[in-house]
Amino acid sequence: METTENQMFSSYQRNPELFDEIYDKDGKIMSVYSELFDLYGEHSIKDYVKLNDKAKASFFNQGITFQVYDKKETREKIFPFDLFPRIIDPQEWDIIERGAIQRSKALNLFLWDIYHDKKIIKQGIVPMDLISSSANYLDQMVGVDPPGGIYNHISGTDVIKHKDGKYYVLEDNIRCPSGVSYVICNRTALKRALFGVFNHYKTHTVTNYAENLLDLLETVKPKGVDVPNVVVITPGMFNSAFYEHSYLAKTMGVELVEGRDLFVENDFVYMKTIRGPEKVDVIYRRIDDAFIDPLEFKPDSSLGVPGLFAAYKKGNVTLANAPGTGVADDKAVYTYMPQIIKYYLNEEPILNNVHTYHCSRPDELKYVLEHIHELVIKPVDEAGGYGISIGNRLTKEEIEVVKNQIKETPRKYVAQPILSLSVHPTYIEDTESFEQRHVDLRTFTVLGKDREFVLKGGLTRVALKRGNLIVNSSQGGGSKDTWVLKK
Amino acid sequence: MRLPDSPMVHVPQLIHFNKIEVYLPENMPLEYAITYTAENSYENWVHDAHWQFLITPQQNSNQDFVGVEFKNSLNAVNEFSVNGYGFSTIRVHPKQKFKEISFEAHFKLVKKEVNPFDFISEDTIQEAYDKINTLTFKVDYEAFLRKTPFTTLPNNKEDIFDFDKNISIFDNLQALNAFTYTHIYFKTDVTDVNTLLDEIIEKRHGVCQDFTHLFCALARKNGIPTRYVSGYLHQGNGFFGDSAMHAWAESYMPRIGWIGFDPTNNLLANTNHIKVAHGKDYSDCSPLIGVVYTTGRNKTSHTVQVSSQQQQ
Amino acid sequence: MLSRVANNLFWMGRYIERSEHIARYLNVNYFSSLDAPNQLSQSRQFVLRSMLFMVGDPVEDESAIVDEEKVLYQIGLDTTYPFSIINNVKYARENANSARDLISTELYESINKFYHFVLNYDANAYVKNGLHDFTVHVAEMTAILRGKMRGTLLHDEIYAIIMMGVNIERATQIIRMINSKHTDALRAQGSYGDKFSNSFEWTTLLKCAESYDMMRRFYKKTPTSISTLEFLILNPNCPRSIMNSLNQVYEHIKVLDTSKKYNKESTAFLVGRVRAEYQFKYIKEIETDIQSFIEDILSSLSEISQKMEKEFFNY
Repeated sequence: METTENQMFSSYQRNPELFDEIYDKDGKIMSVYSELFDLYGEHSIKDYVKLNDKAKASFFNQGITFQVYDKKETREKIFPFDLFPRIIDPQEWDIIERGAIQRSKALNLFLWDIYHDKKIIKQGIVPMDLISSSANYLDQMVGVDPPGGIYNHISGTDVIKHKDGKYYVLEDNIRCPSGVSYVICNRTALKRALFGVFNHYKTHTVTNYAENLLDLLETVKPKGVDVPNVVVITPGMFNSAFYEHSYLAKTMGVELVEGRDLFVENDFVYMKTIRGPEKVDVIYRRIDDAFIDPLEFKPDSSLGVPGLFAAYKKGNVTLANAPGTGVADDKAVYTYMPQIIKYYLNEEPILNNVHTYHCSRPDELKYVLEHIHELVIKPVDEAGGYGISIGNRLTKEEIEVVKNQIKETPRKYVAQPILSLSVHPTYIEDTESFEQRHVDLRTFTVLGKDREFVLKGGLTRVALKRGNLIVNSSQGGGSKDTWVLKK
Repeated sequence: MRLPDSPMVHVPQLIHFNKIEVYLPENMPLEYAITYTAENSYENWVHDAHWQFLITPQQNSNQDFVGVEFKNSLNAVNEFSVNGYGFSTIRVHPKQKFKEISFEAHFKLVKKEVNPFDFISEDTIQEAYDKINTLTFKVDYEAFLRKTPFTTLPNNKEDIFDFDKNISIFDNLQALNAFTYTHIYFKTDVTDVNTLLDEIIEKRHGVCQDFTHLFCALARKNGIPTRYVSGYLHQGNGFFGDSAMHAWAESYMPRIGWIGFDPTNNLLANTNHIKVAHGKDYSDCSPLIGVVYTTGRNKTSHTVQVSSQQQQ
Repeated sequence: MLSRVANNLFWMGRYIERSEHIARYLNVNYFSSLDAPNQLSQSRQFVLRSMLFMVGDPVEDESAIVDEEKVLYQIGLDTTYPFSIINNVKYARENANSARDLISTELYESINKFYHFVLNYDANAYVKNGLHDFTVHVAEMTAILRGKMRGTLLHDEIYAIIMMGVNIERATQIIRMINSKHTDALRAQGSYGDKFSNSFEWTTLLKCAESYDMMRRFYKKTPTSISTLEFLILNPNCPRSIMNSLNQVYEHIKVLDTSKKYNKESTAFLVGRVRAEYQFKYIKEIETDIQSFIEDILSSLSEISQKMEKEFFNY
C-alpha cells in the first residue's frame, strides 16, 4: 500500500468502524485525494510543523481571533486551522447545493405562511405548537410583508456525511449564522502555505461571497429606493464574531455600524457620519431579534436602535434576516422539514433529515427515555452546541439527570440516533501526526428576490478532541479549507 | 351567577373605578377630550433617553376624528409612528441632557353611540361551540388563545370558571364578567404591573389590569379568543382628578366578532370606553416604554382626565 | 464615514503617537542621565520624577523616594496605570479594531503585531535590563506604523482624520516634553555652575524629540534655551516642531472641510487661526514667559480637539 512510502501519513491509523473520507471501501486512497496525498507525502512532518506554525502566526497577526473568557481576563485565541484540505467532488457538491437551496426556499415559504395565513398548520401538517410555544415567533411580524418576500436571506445549513456515504442535514441556522469569514481566511492561509497544491486541482473560488451577498441584499431593497445604502450592524468589537462582521463590511465595501451609529427619524433610518445623517436602506444585522429595538423588544438592550422596528414595519428599511426568522431555526421545526419541503415545493427532500424523536409526544418520549444510551439529546432552542448530551458518553448518574430534565420540560428536547460523522485526516499537534477526526460542513446560502447563491465551499469543522462529535468552535473545534472541484 | 339579559347600558349605572362611584351618562354620540400628563424627574443627569407612548385613541369604526396634540417640556421632536402591532405611538428623544421632563397630551375624538347588544345573533349554541373547536379557528386566533405569563392560571385554579355549554358563548362571557367582578375586589397599590395571576387569585384583590388578566385567562381557557385592551374610561361629566388609564377585555365570538367586557365594572364596553390598543396582555399595551440612561433615583407621575360633551 | 469610527481613528492616531513619545522620553532621559554633567541631572530620583511629570502624574511630595523598578514598570507595562505605554498601545489597537473595515490590512496587522509585542514583553526583563530594547522597539514600531499609514491608506478623509490625531498629539507631546525639561532645567540650574540657558537639559529635550541631529545641522552650535525652543516650536521644517504639526493639521482639516470660506465656528477656522498666530511669532515673545506659552498652546490644542469632536464626531 502507498501509505508505507508516504512520510506524512506513515503513522496514520485507520479505525475500520469509522467512515474515512479519503479511503474507499477497499482501503485505497479515493481518486480525488490521490494526487493531494502524494503531494503532501513529498514533505516531511518537520516541514509540515513549520508550515503549520507559520499559518497559525499569520492568523494571529491578522487578528483573526475570537475571545475566550476565563475567570481573570479575556484571552485571544485563533480558531484552529488544519492545512490538509477536504475535497468535495462536483457530483456530491451538486446534491449539497441543490439541497441547501431547496431547504432555504422551503423555509422561506414556511416563514411567509406562518406569518400570514398559517395554511400549513390549518391543514394539520405541522402542529400549532411550533409557533405558539416558540420563543422566537414574533407576533409583531404577523401580516408584515418583508421586502422582496424574503425572510431568511442568509442561511447556514450544517451537513454531515454518515457512514452510509450520504449527506444528512444536522440543522438549518437562519438567525445569524457565522463562519463564512473563516472559509475565506482558511483558503487564503492554505494558499499562502501550500500554493503549489492548487495547481493540481481545479477548485472553485470562495472569495466571491461578499460581492454576491451585496448583490443579493440589493435585490431586497425597500420600495422606492434606487441604489440602496447597505450596512452591517454588529453588537460591537467585543462580540466573538466581530472579526467576521468587520470582514464582511470591508469586503462588501459598506459601513460597519453599531446601534449607536444609527437613529430613526420619521420612520426612516439614518447613520451618523462626519458629514451629517445618511439614510440607510438595507441592514445586514448580526444582532438577535430581542436586541434590535429596545422600544419594541428588550428595553434594557443598548445594542439596537430605538424605533427601528417601526421603520421596518413601515417598509422603509430591510432587515436581513427578517425579524422573527428564528422561529424556523427551532430544532422542532427541523424535524418537519421533509413535510415542509413537500408541502411548499411539492418536491422530495434532496438532502436527508436525521430522524428525530419529539419528547413532546408521549409515545416518542417513552422511546427516548428507554433508549437514551443510543440517542443524542438536544435542547430545541440552543445554538453553538450547548446543552447537547450524547447518550453513550454519559455515566449512569448523568443519564438520570438528563432523563429528569426531559421529563420536566419535554417540549424543550428532541432526540436523534447517534450519527457517525465521517472522519478526515487531521494534523494533531500533540502527537505531531495525522489522525482521524470527525468533520461536518457548514454551507452558506443567500436568498435574494428571485435569485440565490450558495458559496461553493463551506466551513468544514473538525472536532479536534479524539472521538468527539461536537465540532462547534465554542466547544474546541477547528476547521479545514474545503475544496469544491469544478466539473 | 348570571346577569339579566336585558340591555343595561341605556340606563344610568354605577361603576366602580378607583373606589369612586359615579353615575354614567346615557350613551349618545359624544365628543371626548382627554388630557394625559406625565412628569419624570431624575436625581442625576440623563444623557440619553427614548420614550414611546402608547396613549393615542385608536381610530376605528366607533372612534373617529381623533385629534392629537402633544408637547414635551424640553421641546424635543415628537415623532408620530406605530408600534409593532400597528397602534399609534409617539416617540420622544431629547437631544440634550436633562434632569426633568414632562409630557402633556391632548386628544379629541368623536365616539359613536355604542350599544353593546347591537349585534347579529349567534349561531345556534352548538354551532358556535363546534366552530371554536375547529383547527382553523384555533389557528386564526392563536395569539389570543395563548397563555402568556400574565394570563397563566395557577395549576390548581384552572377550573375556577367553566363554561356552561347549554348557554351561548355570549351568556357565558357575561357570567364570566360578573364572576371576575365578584371574585376580586378593587384595591389600588396592592398589585403592580408585574403581578401575576397566582397572587391575584390567592389574595383576591387588584386593579383593572388584574381583573382583565383574570378574565382573559379564563375566557381563553374556555377556548374563546380574548384580548387585553388598554384605553380611557370616561367616568362622568364634570369629573376631574387624578386617574390612570383603564383596561378591559375583548372576546371574539363566531359571527358576532369582538365584544368588549369590562370585568372591573361588570359592564360591557360602551360609549365611555375609549380604546387605545389591544394585545395578548398588559405587556403588549404598556402606555409608556422608556429607555433612560442615568444613575440614581427617579420619580415619575402621570394623570389622566377625560371629559365629554354631547354632540348636537 | 461614521462619526464614531472617525473618532476612534482620530484617537488611534493619538495613542500611537503618544506611546512613541513616552517611550523615547523614558529612553533618552534614563540613558543620558547616566553620564550627565551635573549631579542633579545624574540623580536617579530626578530622572524618575521627570518621567512621571511628563506622563502627567507628577510626584508632589518633594521628600518621597520613588522606586525605579516600580516607576519603569508603571509607565511601561502596567495595565492598571492609565498613562502606561501598554495601555496606549491597547487603546490604539482597540480603536483600530473598531475601524478595521476602513483601514488597510497592512496597517492593521502592524498595529496588531505592535500590541502583541508589548503585551508579551517580559516585565521582569524590562525593569532589570530591557528598558533600552523595549523603548527602542516601541519607537521603531511606531515608525513602521507611520509608514503604513502613509503608504497603505488612501489619502482621503480617513487618512486625514488619523493624521490630525497624530499631529495634534505630536504637538501636545512636544509641549509636554518642553514643559518637563523646562522644569528640569530650572531645577538643575546652577547645581554645577551652569546657566539655565546653557543647561544640559536642552540637549536631552532635543534628543527626546528625536531632533538633536537636525538641530545641530541647522544651528551648528551647542543648543541653548532659545535656540532649542525656537527650533522645536517655530521651525516649520523640523518634522517634530509645533509649527510643523500645526501646518499638518491645517493641511488635513482642509480635506474634511472643503468650504472656500470657513465658518467662524468651524474647526478649520480655529486651526487656521492658531497656526497663523505661531507662524508670525518671535521666539523672544515666547521665551519671556514660557509657562504661559505652554498653557496657551495646550489649551489651543485641546480646543481644536474639542471642536473636532463637536463638528465631526458627535454621535
